[in-house]
Amino acid sequence: MSTKAGAAALLFPLAMLVASAAPAAADPALLKDLTAVLILLAMPCGEVVSAKRQADNDHIATCKDGNRYRVFINAEGRASAQKL
Amino acid sequence: MRCIAIGLLALAAGCATIAAAPPAAEAPAAAPVVVAPTPARPAQPAHEVAKPAPTPTLDVAALKERLRSTSACGVFTKLALKNQMDDLLQQFRARHQSADAGGVATLRQPYDMLVLKVLAVVQDGDPSLARMISGSREAIWGILADPVKFNALA
Repeated sequence: MSTKAGAAALLFPLAMLVASAAPAAADPALLKDLTAVLILLAMPCGEVVSAKRQADNDHIATCKDGNRYRVFINAEGRASAQKL
Repeated sequence: MRCIAIGLLALAAGCATIAAAPPAAEAPAAAPVVVAPTPARPAQPAHEVAKPAPTPTLDVAALKERLRSTSACGVFTKLALKNQMDDLLQQFRARHQSADAGGVATLRQPYDMLVLKVLAVVQDGDPSLARMISGSREAIWGILADPVKFNALA
């Protein structure tokens, strides 16, 4: 019982830490950046509402209209977007 | 009947107001034509026009640097703008290297589109940069369209 309580005591802060880390992925500046780059690349989107980081300079952006894009810097050093 | 008459009067009054406006607008345009024969007078307005010009202007390299350092947009946006600027510069280079020098005029529309994109991106986060870009639009075009000035960029 005390082991379960101890585990819960450990897991709860961990869960809170993970939960607090999640909104960092939806940094408003990043969402704005992804929205702007999709507009510049003439991709239909409207507005990016959430983003998931894949790697450095590589994100999965979800748009208000439901479209999803992989936004990344390609091997040629260009900002690119691939529709998913 | 009275209502129609009142309506017509109001319409006429409205038209009169609109009609009155063009002469007022034409008056300043007509004035320089009358004054034009005197050489001294056109020179003064030219100086007056030249005085407000000292608004800060940018060249292409300065524009790139300001865009690089502004916090108005993120990494992806900056890179996408840089890519599009480089693409446009490449087109200018190709036009200047070809025999058809007049071909540069066809790049005016893509150039204007790119300037509008840049303005749209920076105007909220960096209004001063947006003003500088807007004020430099013709100066930058002048550099890009002139083969000598363009080659001096590289």
